[in-house]
Amino acid sequence: MADASLRHSTASAQDQNTILTNNESGCSKAQEQPLRHPLGGITPKIHDVTEKFTKACNALEVGQLVKDDYFTLFESIGAIEIMDPKMDSGFLQPGETLEDDYDCLTPLLPEELIGIMDQLLCYEMAWHTGYPLSQTLFTSLYIDKLLWPETRILERAQFYRGDIPDDKRPGPLLQVLRAYCLALIKGCDFVIAKIAARDYFEEEDFCTQTYNRVLFVSIPMDVFLRELDSAMEVVEDESLEINTALRSAIHSRLEFRKDFLRAQDLDLPLDLISYSWPTILENLGTLKNTHQLGQVVPGAFSTKMQRRLASTVPPRPIVELEFKDALEKLQQLCTDCKEATRFISLPQDPLEYQSFLWFFASRSPAPLAYSRSYLATLLFHPDVLQTSVSLPLSDVKTLVFPASPVLDPVNWTFSPPRNPMLPKPPRLQLAMLVDEFVDRCGQPYLDLWVALGQNRCRLRRMLTHVITGWDMLQADASSVDADISQAAEELGITDQVLEFSLSTWVYHKKLWMIEKIILLGFEQDIYLPDEFSGMYLFLSLIATRRKELLKRVEAHYLRRGEQLLKSRNLRDAQEVDDAGPYLDSLLAEAEGVASLSLALARFYIILLYLHMLPLPKRPFAKEELRYELRMKPFLSLQPPEAPPFEDFKAHTQPYGDFAAPDPAFQLDLNDMASDLWTEVDRHLKAAKEAFADVKKMGPKAVKAEGVATAWNKDVQSALASCIALGVAVAGVKGAVSKTNAASSESLGIKVVIPESGAGKRYAEGWIVAKILKME
Amino acid sequence: MASSKRTNRLSWLFPWTQTDTKMDHEQATFWLSQFIGKNLRIHATDGRVFGGQMKCTDKDRNIILAMAHEYRAPPIETIRKAIEESGNPSTPVPWNSRYVGLIVVPGQHIKKIEFEESTYQMSNVTL
Repeated sequence: MADASLRHSTASAQDQNTILTNNESGCSKAQEQPLRHPLGGITPKIHDVTEKFTKACNALEVGQLVKDDYFTLFESIGAIEIMDPKMDSGFLQPGETLEDDYDCLTPLLPEELIGIMDQLLCYEMAWHTGYPLSQTLFTSLYIDKLLWPETRILERAQFYRGDIPDDKRPGPLLQVLRAYCLALIKGCDFVIAKIAARDYFEEEDFCTQTYNRVLFVSIPMDVFLRELDSAMEVVEDESLEINTALRSAIHSRLEFRKDFLRAQDLDLPLDLISYSWPTILENLGTLKNTHQLGQVVPGAFSTKMQRRLASTVPPRPIVELEFKDALEKLQQLCTDCKEATRFISLPQDPLEYQSFLWFFASRSPAPLAYSRSYLATLLFHPDVLQTSVSLPLSDVKTLVFPASPVLDPVNWTFSPPRNPMLPKPPRLQLAMLVDEFVDRCGQPYLDLWVALGQNRCRLRRMLTHVITGWDMLQADASSVDADISQAAEELGITDQVLEFSLSTWVYHKKLWMIEKIILLGFEQDIYLPDEFSGMYLFLSLIATRRKELLKRVEAHYLRRGEQLLKSRNLRDAQEVDDAGPYLDSLLAEAEGVASLSLALARFYIILLYLHMLPLPKRPFAKEELRYELRMKPFLSLQPPEAPPFEDFKAHTQPYGDFAAPDPAFQLDLNDMASDLWTEVDRHLKAAKEAFADVKKMGPKAVKAEGVATAWNKDVQSALASCIALGVAVAGVKGAVSKTNAASSESLGIKVVIPESGAGKRYAEGWIVAKILKME
Repeated sequence: MASSKRTNRLSWLFPWTQTDTKMDHEQATFWLSQFIGKNLRIHATDGRVFGGQMKCTDKDRNIILAMAHEYRAPPIETIRKAIEESGNPSTPVPWNSRYVGLIVVPGQHIKKIEFEESTYQMSNVTL
């Protein structure tokens, strides 16, 4: 980009020098004139080689290419074909003119002014949803006039350039429009700066391309605010003859623009940011109610503008977004940003941050790229992250080291022996090992947070990469653990330290991420209905592993608490006790996930045997390969998470092939006391109880106090999914017991899989089929 | 145009056609390859001029230019206005230019090809 603009800036200098000579007919002789003036004013020699070139080309073989050795087929595909109307944005249809006839200095009616302002807002929001500026705001002739030819002095950024007669000077309403446009452009500059400054962003979400137009980067914000203020004065002025309703409509638009620009300001101090979004939200109603006063000015926008932009892409149509939808997007953007500002007032705890990030990403509709960058900027703001303890360490401490001698501050006070050959004191060793580990886990920890700041689809994809990082971290952690236990042994405190504490913490986090990956897969409809049983079974396996891991930690807590009580160390005993609720709620949650997914898996297995789920024909697919594909992100993990295919098959198809099940299936199906049915009910009951426990313990225990509302809703929806599953199971059971038949046709029921994202699921990740009676 | 493009693209797949050793053809190849990486100005049939570095050409005289700029004469009205205002029939009027990047100009749309000799380095091109 940098060198593209460099190239272009030389080009624009050239055309100042480019000279065109005219004769009467207006035809140019300019081809004879140099197009480029190199430095020093020496004219390059130009040779007409047309004839010889043509001859030489003719002498080439068919299919032969004379080309740069480094120029590849891949590159050539990106070339724009000149004179092809679909690719060449500069191509003119016969009779078409390059420029539009629209005159930006024609006086505007107040209604037209409102129309243009609202149209600009529509394009601004279309840009926010991911379309490039060339298809949105840059189609505005007014904006083009302000930005091109480029000027560094704001007074010269007018709808005209140079001197014009006084009678043609823009009237008051055009001045108002100019102020509005200038503030809008500066706002875009802020948006681009904020999004591009993030560690990780992809062009697929947002287009930062400005086509070599400079969006007043170097001009400070207060200048734009002053322009808006004077525009407001113009509107308020009594001498301006205008209908009151229109006057206030224009005024509120300027007001909105001012608030919005200030909210987007990059240098807004942290203690002020929470005040900036509510005012905008209050103003939105006025914009909505006065929109019908406006009058559309179609000529003010044109696709032809794209011909003037430095563009290496084919021409594309203008993106039309309805005003109603644009306002909705705007409202969403402001609400999300308002929510994000709450981040700075969270308790300083990495787990609180993690919950906040998770629930922010789960917001529906999904936050726009700008809102996500807005939160990420706050997250990585130096003033926010300034804590006395390193964040990963405090995370580790919460789970595995409450009141642990490993983190005793005394350890950090020892100095190494003068003779480097002598062994270091074991307490110092502990401190150094912990420091080393904290250093080591900085990057994987950051990766997790960066992933949590992405949109949901990318979050799932990125998590699959993040877990491999954590997998390596786990291997390193276990070697640190070995050293820690050795040092603990020297100190004689082995019983006070949880065995493999660091790797336990890493493993727990990794398993948590795997669960999220699978649940996100369900949420995003990655799996087909006939795969539900297998994937829920896998989820249950992972969650059970996490539960077992947490049980080990719990046992350690109990032992440690007892030790401390016995030794009358009440303060530390209290600390262990305080860590209890967090562990308990993690345990209950893991239990809930494990049980609910197992219940769902078993339920879907029954449906599969009853032929009630669509089973697509896959003439070229092998079950084994499909399984490998699903497990791909987890295959490299250590310890291995994905079970061997044979195991998996034995568990997902306990009665053999779905098409021809074992006769035992029929017996079990009709016997309501068989494992087939009781297992579902048992796990469902366990899940309900577990989620109810989680709910009772509340958001404080799980360290999601900052997002209590969203958290409560989340737990509630898991509970609702349990209930829905209960209903569905009862539905199938009833139908089976009534008919004693084994095929769906005769059961008189049908299965409906609720769609994702349509509000038809209680929880997006928990897909509970609905059982409907057939008429 | 579409068909010419297809042969153009397909030709990448048939490098063995290059092994032919006709003298005339060899000369042509040599002469053309001098221009690789050099600045060419291609005048298209619609009056636009493209200036950029030549990357590739073929039998159909399709030319690929990298880092190309598009130059376009201003509309007649603008020229007329400039003449009226200055009273000078040969008054200078700036051309419009913009960066277009990597382009391919199909042979049938080429009106004129110009080689731009670099002033600050010897170009060693035999014309």
